[in-house]
Amino acid sequence: MKYRTIIFLSLVGLLFACKPEIDEFKASAGSADFSNYISVGNSLTAGYADGALYHSAQANSYPSILAQQFKTVGGGEFVQPVVESEYGVLPGKLVLDYSTNCLGETSLGPVPASGQAEGYAPVGYSVNNLGVPGAKTFHLLAPGYGNPAGVPVGLANPYYARFASAADASVIGDAAAHEATFFSLWIGNNDVLGYATSGGIGDTITGQPSFAYFMDNIVGALTANGAKGVIANLPGITGAAFFNVIPYNGLVLTEQIQVDGLNAAYAPLGITFNLGQNPFIIADPNAPAGLRQITENEMVLLTTPGDSLRCAGWGSIKPIPDQYTLSENEIANINSAIEGYNATIKTLADTYNLAFVDINSYFGQVESGVTYDGESFSVTYVTGGTFSLDGIHLTQKGYALIANQFITAINGKYGANIPKVSVTDYPGIEFP
Amino acid sequence: MRKLSIVMLLFVFVAYTAYAGGYQVRLQGQKQTGIGLIGTPFALGASSMFYNPGSLSFMKANNSYSLGVSGVMANAIYQANGSNYQASTVNPTGTPFYFYGAGKVTEDLSVGVGVFTPYGNTLKWDNDWRGRYLIQEISLAAIFIQPTVAYKINDKFGIGAGLDIVLGSVDLTKALPNPIDGQFNMNGKTTEFGYNVGIFLKPNEDFNIGVDYRSKVNMKIENGQTEFRDVPQSLGSFFPSSGNFDAELPLPANLDVGMSYQISEKFMLALELNYVFWSAYDSLIIDFKENNEKLADSRNPRKYANTAIWRIGGEYKISEKLIARAGVYYDPSPTNKNYFTPETVSLNTVAFTLGLSYMPTEKLSIDLSYLQLEGLQEDRAYDPDNFGGTYATRTFVPGIGVSYNF
Repeated sequence: MKYRTIIFLSLVGLLFACKPEIDEFKASAGSADFSNYISVGNSLTAGYADGALYHSAQANSYPSILAQQFKTVGGGEFVQPVVESEYGVLPGKLVLDYSTNCLGETSLGPVPASGQAEGYAPVGYSVNNLGVPGAKTFHLLAPGYGNPAGVPVGLANPYYARFASAADASVIGDAAAHEATFFSLWIGNNDVLGYATSGGIGDTITGQPSFAYFMDNIVGALTANGAKGVIANLPGITGAAFFNVIPYNGLVLTEQIQVDGLNAAYAPLGITFNLGQNPFIIADPNAPAGLRQITENEMVLLTTPGDSLRCAGWGSIKPIPDQYTLSENEIANINSAIEGYNATIKTLADTYNLAFVDINSYFGQVESGVTYDGESFSVTYVTGGTFSLDGIHLTQKGYALIANQFITAINGKYGANIPKVSVTDYPGIEFP
Repeated sequence: MRKLSIVMLLFVFVAYTAYAGGYQVRLQGQKQTGIGLIGTPFALGASSMFYNPGSLSFMKANNSYSLGVSGVMANAIYQANGSNYQASTVNPTGTPFYFYGAGKVTEDLSVGVGVFTPYGNTLKWDNDWRGRYLIQEISLAAIFIQPTVAYKINDKFGIGAGLDIVLGSVDLTKALPNPIDGQFNMNGKTTEFGYNVGIFLKPNEDFNIGVDYRSKVNMKIENGQTEFRDVPQSLGSFFPSSGNFDAELPLPANLDVGMSYQISEKFMLALELNYVFWSAYDSLIIDFKENNEKLADSRNPRKYANTAIWRIGGEYKISEKLIARAGVYYDPSPTNKNYFTPETVSLNTVAFTLGLSYMPTEKLSIDLSYLQLEGLQEDRAYDPDNFGGTYATRTFVPGIGVSYNF
C-alpha cells in the first residue's frame, strides 16, 4: 500500500509544477524595416498637450509610443528633442484646478500652470521626432523655418529652432538627411486649424492645389531613398472639444426683468428672449447693426473669456466678437477644406504605396464613444479622456489611441505583427 | 449494522472554487471526488447529504462522521489580443474543510447535518493588470449548513430532504479608470435558505440509481459596504469612502441523475448527468444606496446558460483494505462568449480524478483524492468593457480526509 501512496503523491507533485500556458504573441516586422524610424508632423506628432509641449506628455507622443513598439520588431533608438520642463517650451500650459470667477463662484476648470517654461534654446543633437507645433504643410518645406534669429520677429518657428540642423535648414531636408527606413507623416491640421481657432478671421485656409503640391513634395522627399511609411488623414476638427464646450444657447436668463430688458433693447432687430436658455448674441459684419443671434449649427470657441460672458454682458447686451465664433459658412469652409485635404492624402497613400491611417473615421467613432479594457473615451471636454485641457490636442491616453490606429494600419499594409499598447496604462487628465 | 461498508466510506471534501462551471464546486466528498465527482447513485453514508439525501437512508452503520481538508491551487492565464501582454492570476491556495455527521434514529429513518461549500470563487489578479477595471480580486463564499432527514421506504427505495441554511459572503475589488484613478471595494454578507431533495433506487444488489434536486439560492446582499479608495479630492463627494449597496447573486439549482453498476466483485462503474440551471445568472446589478450625477447603479450583463455535465467513473477494490478510483468529466462553460469576465474565468473544462481509500480498521477510512481541471484555451471578450483575449486555466485539488462509522 505504501508504495502506491508514494506513486500517487509523486504523480500529484509532478502535475503541480505546471501552470497553464498560452502561445505568446509573435511580433514581426513583415516587409517593413523599422531600424531607423522618423516621424514628421505638427504639434500632434510632437506630443503637445494642455497648451504646451512639456516633458511628461512629450515622452508619450504617439511617435514615441510607436518607436517603443517597433523595438519588438527590430526598431532602433528614437530620439526626441527632449523638453526638460514640465511647464513647456513656451508659457501657456494649462492644469485642472479651482478658480473663482467674476460672480465669486469657485469651480474646477483649466487654469494657467504656475511654473517656468524653459524657452527654445537648441537641443544640440539630431532627432527622430520632427514634429513641429504650429507647422503647416508648406512650413515643412521652408528653409530657415528653424532659424533662431527669425523666431523673435515671427519668421521662424521656436519649436523647430530647437533642433534645426542649420539656420537655413528645412524640416523635410533634415528628415531626408536621416536616411530613414520608415517614416510616419501626419500633417495638414494647421492648414485649416488657425482659421478655425480664430473664428475664421485670424488665418487663411491653404488652398487645395497648394496643399496637394506641398504634400506631394513632402511625401516625395520622404520616400526618395525608398523608405516605407505610414500617412494619416485629418480628423474633422470641428468635432474637437475646443469647438463644443460652450453651447450656442448658453445665455441663461433666470429673471423676467432680464428677459424684458433684452426684448426691449433688441426689439428693433426683431430678436426676442425667453426665460431659460437663449442663443448668444454674436458679432456678424454682414448682419443688420453688425450683430445677430447665433444659430444652433454655429459654434462658440473654448477661448471665449468666461468672465466676459458672465459679467461683461457678452452674448447678451454686447455681441461676442467674431474671433470667438464660427458661422455656418465658416464651418462649411473648414469641413470642405478637410475633405479636400483628405482626398489628397488618400491619393498620395495609394500613389506612394504607403500604409494609410483613417484618423477621420476613427475620430468619428470616438465622437460616439469608444471603450478599451473597461475605460471609456469620448470627445467631451475634460471628462472624455481624449482631449487635453486645450481642447485641441490629445491626452497621453489619446495619443495612445492614435498609436494603436497607426499600428493597425502598418500591420495591415506591411504584413507586420507589431503589438498594440494598453491605452489604460497612459496618464489622463489629472484631477486635483 | 455496525460494520463498515466498503462502498460507503466517505470522505468528503468541501471544496472551493476552481474555474469549472461558473462558480459552482461539486467537491463535497473525497470518495465522490475520486470517482469523477459522481455521488448521486451512491449510499456512502453521511456525505450523501449533499449528493443525494435519498441515499442517506441506506447508510449501513448507525453513526457516520466525515471530516476533511483539501488544497485548491487554481491558475488562470490571459493573453491580450494583438499585443504581447500576458497576465496570470496570483491566487492564494484555498484550504476548504468539511464536516458531516449522521445517525440512525430507527432502522429506516436517518438524520444528520452537513456543513459544506458547494459554491465559491477566489480569484486574484495583479493590481495593475490590464483587466483591473473589471476585477482585481474577488472572494465569493457560501457555507451551507444542511440538517437532513432520510427515510428508507423499502429495501429498494429511499427518499430524503435537507434544509440548507446558507451563510454567504462576497468581497470584490477593482480599479477605477481616469479621472478617478482609484479603487472600489464592496463586501457584504447574507443568510439565505434553500433545500435539497433526493430519491435513491436499488433495483438489485448491483445496480443503483439516484436523482437529486438542489434548489436555487438567491444570495441577496442588503446594505453591503462600499468603499471608494484613493479618489482625487475634487471627486471625493461623488465617490465616498463609505457607502452601501444591494446586490443579488444566484447560486443555481441543480438536477442530477446518476447510476452505478457493480460489474464484478472488484469493479464498479458509474455515470452521472448534472444539469445546472445557470440561466439564473443573467446580470450582476449593484444598486448603490446613494446615487449621484456621477455614481449610477451598475448593471453588468452575464447571460449565463444552463449546462449539462457528463461524468463517468470507476472504482476498483484492490484488497479488503484498499480501494482505488478514477473518473473523467466534461464541464461546459455556462458563460456567454461576449460577456465573459475575468472575475470568473470559467472555460469549457476537461477534468480527471484519482482516489484512494485505505481502511486500517473496519470503522475507519482514510481517503485521498486528486482532481485536475484543464480549462480549454478560448478567445473570449466582455463586450461592454471591450476587454477580450485568450484565456486558459489549470487547477489542482489534492484532498485528504477521514471518516468513521460505528
